Amino acid sequence: MQNAFIRTVMAIALGAIPGALGRYLITELTKAMIGKDFSYYGTFFINVTGCFIIALFYTLSEQKFKNVSPEIRLAIATGFCGAYTTFSTYGLETFNLLDKGNTTIALIYWLGSMIVGMIAVQLGVTLGSLNSKSNSSKI
Amino acid sequence: MLQNVTLLGLLAIVIGAIPGAVSRYYLTEFCKKNMATSFPYGTFIINFTGCLLMGFCFTFLKGIEGFSADIDLLVRTGFLGSYTTFSTYEYDTFTLWRKGNLGSTLFYWAGSAILAVVGIALGRYVANLFLGV
Repeated sequence: MQNAFIRTVMAIALGAIPGALGRYLITELTKAMIGKDFSYYGTFFINVTGCFIIALFYTLSEQKFKNVSPEIRLAIATGFCGAYTTFSTYGLETFNLLDKGNTTIALIYWLGSMIVGMIAVQLGVTLGSLNSKSNSSKI
Repeated sequence: MLQNVTLLGLLAIVIGAIPGAVSRYYLTEFCKKNMATSFPYGTFIINFTGCLLMGFCFTFLKGIEGFSADIDLLVRTGFLGSYTTFSTYEYDTFTLWRKGNLGSTLFYWAGSAILAVVGIALGRYVANLFLGV
């Protein structure tokens, strides 16, 4: 029981560490390149790519690599994708844009993240399912 | 280019990110076990409470004396960034949609996004009460 808990925590931590650090570095890079007040470009990029990765991974693990261990799922989906993407910063950036009176940009960012995120999920699912029939028939 | 990045700052993020991700996992599992429904209550609650705390901490940490940038990285970038998740939110929305639950899909998709902004506003309001602003 305790061993299972430690394994779970280790697997999640293994993914969460690069996920959170990657998010931080991309955000800092965005601020350095575009400007201090434009961190939402970075968050947008992070959230959309994270949606693509989680959809691709879940689809591949459901259709092609069916014996992926639960620890790998925890590390990649729960740990990495979960920590890499963020909902709280997305809310905060939308709110701060609204607060500063940038209503149009706030709406584009808010709705844009929701919609492009869904497109990224669809893309990940589609790419992950490619050739899945021909592959499974060969095995 | 990245003059703000320090080793202590990166360590602070790691220290926050691990409990953030682990508590998200256990809260999600708890909700799955105790609510017999396909609606992703776990992520819904996590993202809303994460936004409440984010709104609170953003205002509160900046308002107190002797505010440390590394504490901010630990709490907001590390813990709250890792506790809340955008990828599972969108993936769950997609799954609900594919199952044909159009009503709950829209409720979850738009509801989470609306509550994100509401949560930040509420958190900020409470922080201002604490700060006496």
